Amino acid sequence: MRRRTAGTADPVLFNGHLTGRFDSGPCVRRSAEAPATGTVRRSDPQPPGAEVDPHRPAASSVMESWREERTRSVEDNEMSLPAIAAAYTTILRGLGEDPQRQGLLKTPWRAATAMQFFTKGYQETIIDVLNDAIFDEDHDEMVIVKDIDMFSMCEHHLVPIFGRVHIGYLPNKRVLGLSKLARIVEIYSRRLQVQERLTKQIAVAITEALQPTGVGVVIEATHMCMVMRGVQKMNSKTVTSTMLGVFREDPKTRDEFLRLIRS
Amino acid sequence: MNCVFTASPGGPSLAFKTTVIATLRPLIEQITTGEDHHSSSDCILQRLSQKATKEMNGNMPMVTKLSKCIESKQSAACKEEKNSKEAAESNKLVCIEKAYSTILRELGEITEREGLLRTPLRAAKAMQFFTKGYQETVQDILNDAIFDENHDEVVVVKDIDLFSLCEHHLVPFFGKAHIAYIPNKKVVGLSKLARIVEIFSRRLQVQERLTKQIAVAINEALEPLGVVVVIEAAHMCMVMRGVQKMNAKTVTSVMLGVFQSDPKTRKEFLTLTL
Repeated sequence: MRRRTAGTADPVLFNGHLTGRFDSGPCVRRSAEAPATGTVRRSDPQPPGAEVDPHRPAASSVMESWREERTRSVEDNEMSLPAIAAAYTTILRGLGEDPQRQGLLKTPWRAATAMQFFTKGYQETIIDVLNDAIFDEDHDEMVIVKDIDMFSMCEHHLVPIFGRVHIGYLPNKRVLGLSKLARIVEIYSRRLQVQERLTKQIAVAITEALQPTGVGVVIEATHMCMVMRGVQKMNSKTVTSTMLGVFREDPKTRDEFLRLIRS
Repeated sequence: MNCVFTASPGGPSLAFKTTVIATLRPLIEQITTGEDHHSSSDCILQRLSQKATKEMNGNMPMVTKLSKCIESKQSAACKEEKNSKEAAESNKLVCIEKAYSTILRELGEITEREGLLRTPLRAAKAMQFFTKGYQETVQDILNDAIFDENHDEVVVVKDIDLFSLCEHHLVPFFGKAHIAYIPNKKVVGLSKLARIVEIFSRRLQVQERLTKQIAVAINEALEPLGVVVVIEAAHMCMVMRGVQKMNAKTVTSVMLGVFQSDPKTRKEFLTLTL
């Protein structure tokens, strides 16, 4: 199925559940079969972990730049590959290179496949990744997974961003398989992104999936658009963070998280 | 062209005026156009010689006015050529911009969303910046900065930050370049070594070729006793995709002259640099 046309109905309002933002059809069905033990109220437009704060935009507004959810399929990739490769050939010619020289002969195809790989997050949904790895566990101390390598693409210049993600959460009777945190990072980072949005999407996804007492996500990254061009500052790093739930309310919890990721 | 005429007491002699006109005739013929340019140039020369008699003692020598006239005509021609070059450049930019719009659409993105509205233009300009080395030549940057100096010990410039684009995947690779040479009576301004690295790295490259091009360029410009270039870089095409090895680095080196033939010199360089 190819991408839908723009301007379709807002998925958040469609089923009143934030999950509708992340997933396509299958998730719409899932919200009708919400687990009995879940703390999500169907009428609640926001996940319980998100606080309503007039000074910080609500979690759902993070998705405002995504007017509709779309998932790309492997077939979509195959169909669009020739068009992307042709576009890269035009770019090579426009830069003054000779696309027929030996080193560049297959470059359009390689670059097209590479770009599809760098945006493979559009092919994946959170539900696919998380479905089986949520476990009931009586653990209410902080769980941290830090130094998760992250690679993304700047949506303004189409140039790589890379860095590290640190995630911490306070479980509320439910824990997540640890590698699933890294997979959530992968899904959202392998897209055309802005670091602020990426941080928030990861935090909101974990909140949605686990309904924990609190979540904290910190990303520290280098933007090639600042290092290789423009202002050309080699050593600059951008740090963004999102704190939800008790990580936002309680300074001691936040402090503990920040200290542990720094050690 | 610059000429200075000084006034002589009693005004210019006829012989002097004849000399001036003979000098100026070819210049005037440059600025007149059309089939009857000889007659119009005679006209101008007549008027000028009359003016010359009045102006010899004035503030603005006549020839300076004439050379200004020629310069403005030439700069008009240059401006025209520049305008057509700029038109060709902006044409290319538009083509690259349209290609990027296609790429965004085919990747499944909504090109009308706020964050992506001007992305094709930004990405096109960024790509042109990343390949600006094609527009530059070594002669342009080196011409003035080679000095005679009686120094025959090794000169090392190390940790030169380097950013290039992999020609196979169009994805960045970056790292550091270390350059050393043993001068043979000629030294080069130190920043020029970094500029040579910039010229060759801001292109679609393969690390092996980049290293060799830098070494050969220095060899040709300075004719030193020996040159060595070492590049240590991380390739995003290996880190972000494919085999996905985060910490892998690629090291290439090219040694020319005495660095190639004499192991002791090579060892001295490696000790100083790595």
